[in-house]
Amino acid sequence: MKGSLSMKSMKKSLQAYGTLLALAVIIVVFSLLRPKAFFTVRNFINISRQISLMVIISIGATLVMSINEFDLSVGSMASLGGVVSALMAVAGLPLPLCFILPIFISLIIGWINGWIVAKFKVLSFITTLGMSTVLSGVIYRLTGGATVFQNIPKGFSWLGTFKIGEIPLLSVIMVLFIILFSFIMRHTVLGRQLYAIGGNEETSKVAGINVALYKNIAFALCAVLSCITGMLIASRVGSANTTAGDGYFLSSYAAVFIGCTVSKKGIPNVLGTLVGCAILGILTNGLTMLQMPTYMQDIITGTIIIFAVIMQKLGKGNTN
Amino acid sequence: MLLQTKHLSKQFNGIYALRDINFSLEAGEIHGLVGENGAGKSTLIKILTGVYSLEEGEIYWNGAPVKIHTPVESRRVGINVIHQDRVLVPTFTGIENAYLGLPYPTVGWHVNWKEMQRRVQSVAQELGLDLDLNKTAMEMSPPQRTCVEIIRAMVNECKLLILDEPTASLTDKESEILFSLIRKLKAKGTSILYVTHRMDEIFRLTDRITIFKNGEMVETVQTTATDKDDLITKMTDNWTAETQSVDRQMGEELLSVSHLQSRDGIVKDVSFSVHAGEILGIFGLGGSGRTETLECLYGYRSMQGGTVKLFGKPASGLTPSKSIRNGVALISEDRRGKAMIGNLSIRENVSLSCLCRFAKKGVIINKQEKSSVAEMLERLQVKRASDEQRSIELSGGNQQKVVFAKALMTHPRVFLCDEPTQAVDIMTRAEIHRLLREQASQGCAVVFVSSDLKEVMEIADRIQILSGGKTRELLENSGITSQQVLSCCYH
Repeated sequence: MKGSLSMKSMKKSLQAYGTLLALAVIIVVFSLLRPKAFFTVRNFINISRQISLMVIISIGATLVMSINEFDLSVGSMASLGGVVSALMAVAGLPLPLCFILPIFISLIIGWINGWIVAKFKVLSFITTLGMSTVLSGVIYRLTGGATVFQNIPKGFSWLGTFKIGEIPLLSVIMVLFIILFSFIMRHTVLGRQLYAIGGNEETSKVAGINVALYKNIAFALCAVLSCITGMLIASRVGSANTTAGDGYFLSSYAAVFIGCTVSKKGIPNVLGTLVGCAILGILTNGLTMLQMPTYMQDIITGTIIIFAVIMQKLGKGNTN
Repeated sequence: MLLQTKHLSKQFNGIYALRDINFSLEAGEIHGLVGENGAGKSTLIKILTGVYSLEEGEIYWNGAPVKIHTPVESRRVGINVIHQDRVLVPTFTGIENAYLGLPYPTVGWHVNWKEMQRRVQSVAQELGLDLDLNKTAMEMSPPQRTCVEIIRAMVNECKLLILDEPTASLTDKESEILFSLIRKLKAKGTSILYVTHRMDEIFRLTDRITIFKNGEMVETVQTTATDKDDLITKMTDNWTAETQSVDRQMGEELLSVSHLQSRDGIVKDVSFSVHAGEILGIFGLGGSGRTETLECLYGYRSMQGGTVKLFGKPASGLTPSKSIRNGVALISEDRRGKAMIGNLSIRENVSLSCLCRFAKKGVIINKQEKSSVAEMLERLQVKRASDEQRSIELSGGNQQKVVFAKALMTHPRVFLCDEPTQAVDIMTRAEIHRLLREQASQGCAVVFVSSDLKEVMEIADRIQILSGGKTRELLENSGITSQQVLSCCYH
């Protein structure tokens, strides 16, 4: 009897801390395998820069998933943000404007996503899949399918490459976003209402919450964060690829799912998402150091994503 | 003896939900199972139906030990359960639903629909049920769905049918249909385990009654050898009869409705008014538009015509948030669907409607929120491990208290209560009645909707009859009989 009891409590703590444990195990394993290259301050700073872009876009996905919806257009929104921003820079517009105007555009696009989902009560899955295709078309119209790289002013790359001492500006921006949105989700009316809507939309309506408005806000913020990510990608590499954001789509949702397993309630949360990004980022970093072929990295990452979804389901269970 | 349990126990996290149950059930009897919420009734049902695995004790079926590990095994033995929340596939027809989980009859490679139809129809006829089984479940009324579930059980050679609060969402007339069906099943030799909070049903239907208290079995008694008070004393540790306050002082008119119509056409012509200090009972049969009327008044459902006056002033363009600001609260009938967020903590649920009060520039001041919520929970005596516990983990009665706490946080002056004591234990029920009476005496107006006529007659000052989406007679609740009220409902 005592045995079964401690088994149960072990199972519980495994559910709560399993993900953090996994992160620790990954770090330990890589440190043992590549002690000189992996477990160094320099590499961890490097990792923080590598995951910074994914973290920002994943925070957007976290917001949308907190209201129990999906935004499949995060990838193409990011690509569009990068392209528009780069094209404006090429056209010689003042740089601050090049980074601010796309944000407004993305805000409107995200708002439209949210409005369609809330107003017509259609599946966000399909709506944003459609929007994603529309955005890809717009990108093609703007660029003709070619990467924007010629005549980009030097200042354009400042945001993506500047370092404060040893620390990349990108990492600092990431930390600021984490602090800001973690605070919003935990301590503001907005965050609480988003979680309420995600928990039960009808109850939220009866409780007097303007569900449609908050859905619009969630989708709009998600689009803005995607757009910012896209612009930072473009700034980092000094060019805007038409599909630069595509690769971020799946891994951002993977990070959110992994993040859910960190929370006791099994719900999306910003710090959990950070843990998710860290796990995926460190894996990529370490496996590359081990000279693992890319396809193996895909297999491992994909397996982890599926595992995380299962864990999230298990953690959420027991509601009866 | 059809079913017997010996020293059956079940624990969760080291706490016994059931302890040493020696329960027996005869073939062909209707056996009542009573006890407050948390007494262990549902745990027993879940063990018998294979939802929970059996860890301690034994189950005997027709004298031989059986092992029930899964719901499928339970059905194979001959045990079927009908829950208070009906579980049918909405888009399937009655016939397809009756075959849920059963192997379909086939001809060669494809399903033999005709044979399926024939078998289901013959079961329906045997039970004397006259309903169109080619309709989909979502087109059916709640009692029709219950019938489909019973047919489903009987298609499967059911020897023991467990009914868990089967009349919770049925009106009295619909319940009558169910009762006659239950008697037919008994005549066919099927045993019934009948679980309910409703005493009158227990006494009307059952042969024997088993009482559970705090996870233990108190005793099994012959129905003829006991009465309501006796049962209640056995179920609860302390119980005092509800006292009816005598002095009713009606104040000004707080809410008045005239010729209300809903856009979906369910509410056709509703007019009534409630005064400060008054509890107005609204009673009607299923489909009479009780829930819909309240939802319209609250602004949750769209209105099409009619006027609503609040505190003497016309109110238009109603939305839930406007209603809350106006001092109107809705206690929804559908607790899990519309009144509570199971995965959020108790605190987050209670403060949901009045978050802005605890916020400065959109940032929630945790201390203020926590202390206000804790104070309210204390006032309503919600039994909980902590305020941060997920609300779904509470018992039904305490969940309902959380719903009331949330409403009270907005300081309402008009309460719209839709079945506020549904599936709630007797103690909580009395507490809710007391709370509403207390609010009324402090100058609030309460609209109280219940499908339990006895309850309405217990608490209401006046009873407004609702039928077919229209308001009918308005009765003073003094010296009237239930027959008088019911006769107003059937036109």
